[in-house]
Amino acid sequence: MKTNLTYSTAFDTLEKIVAQMESDEIQVDELAEKVRQAKELIAFCENKLRMVEKEVEKAISEK
Amino acid sequence: MPKPMRLSILVNEIQETLENRFEGEDFWVTAEITDVKKYSNKRWCFLKFIEKEGKAIITEIKGVFWGGTYYQVEKFEQQTRQPFSSGLEITCLVRVRFHQRYGLTLEVLEIDFTYALGKLEMDRQAVLARLLQENTESIQLIDGQYATRNNSLPLSMVIQHVALITAPGSDGQRDFLQEIEKNRYGYGFLVSEYLVQIQGDRSSELIMQQLQHIQSGKEKFDVVVIVRGGGSQTDFKPFDDYELSKYVASFPIPILTGIGHDRNTSIVDMMARPNKTPTKVATYIVDHNFSFEQEVIALKDRFFSRIQEIMQSETQNFYTLKESIAKIIITYLQNRKSNIEAIERLVKNLSPLSILSKGFAIVTMDDQIITDPGKIKKQSALKTILKSTIIHTTVTEKTPYENQPDL
Repeated sequence: MKTNLTYSTAFDTLEKIVAQMESDEIQVDELAEKVRQAKELIAFCENKLRMVEKEVEKAISEK
Repeated sequence: MPKPMRLSILVNEIQETLENRFEGEDFWVTAEITDVKKYSNKRWCFLKFIEKEGKAIITEIKGVFWGGTYYQVEKFEQQTRQPFSSGLEITCLVRVRFHQRYGLTLEVLEIDFTYALGKLEMDRQAVLARLLQENTESIQLIDGQYATRNNSLPLSMVIQHVALITAPGSDGQRDFLQEIEKNRYGYGFLVSEYLVQIQGDRSSELIMQQLQHIQSGKEKFDVVVIVRGGGSQTDFKPFDDYELSKYVASFPIPILTGIGHDRNTSIVDMMARPNKTPTKVATYIVDHNFSFEQEVIALKDRFFSRIQEIMQSETQNFYTLKESIAKIIITYLQNRKSNIEAIERLVKNLSPLSILSKGFAIVTMDDQIITDPGKIKKQSALKTILKSTIIHTTVTEKTPYENQPDL
């Protein structure tokens, strides 16, 4: 995952993917890749909202 | 020179004269107060009433609230949300008192709160008018709302990095932090505190200094939150200060306020994004992030339902294709089958038995079918196979022919 990803770029990218899929601009061959990408973006938003990464980092640094 | 009299006799005479003139009469006066000293445990308050012409004080007299009227001071503070302190102009009902030792005093019986509130409001209106007039670029009045550079700044999609300006150990600090740290969605926040005593004349200046620190520091904040607790000793005057209001209006990071009063909004509130209480500021931030998460979830749902649609239609396409391939194969096989049947019929027609039954004969010598008549000699024993009969013969003569016999 890109480290400098922000909420707005994550959100915009996700929005773009959904729009492409809804307008049939995506080939079936690309689907798996898009699913991977979308899942990653969603996880990024969810984790960052709850600062999961930070907790993980903290847990690592405490060891 | 007449014989000098004792001081007490003169002072007693002054007292009697004053009593004769003022006894049993109360007066409403409007004046500025100064040198205010409150003794809340004794419930006394000493002050001076003054009147100025320009900057010069032309009249000055001592004033006092005793235990019986001290509640008026407290009520003043509750109603006007500002401390009863030097510099205020008040209208009050006084009685003229003279004491042999402490001299002349105006004993305050009652404060006119309507006047006090009106004065306060007039001061506020004057500050607001000045803000509009002197900061046309950063402050505008649109439909009764103050649109400032600050409260027009867009908020981050998600608010996580918060600079908190608050009084140390205050209710506001506690309420805000509690609400934001224990939010029910489990969102994480980074709060950096900028502590300041929000009390007294210098507080607006101190708040401004903290804002400067926030702006010049390395940390990048999504918002600045200014909160202060409720309680009866609240001092809202700093939040009506011209300089602070002006600074807030053009501050480059969105400011959320929770200054904690429900009756009227301070001027700083109007320049920023106001919320009624510190708790409500926290709720506002949490809700802001919640609506972002909802949008992500909505996109996620759209994404996966679209994936499902695509998969279904692809599966359908596959089945259709599979069916048409099956049909082609079946047709192909059927065609092949009918070809084979034709061949079988042909083969059957060409079999020796069917040939014999058509009147042809097979000639063998030494149980070999003769295909080369050259091998046949005179006296060779031949078998002529007809339908259902074999004729045993011996060759007596052999005659080759050139022209095809007419068969």
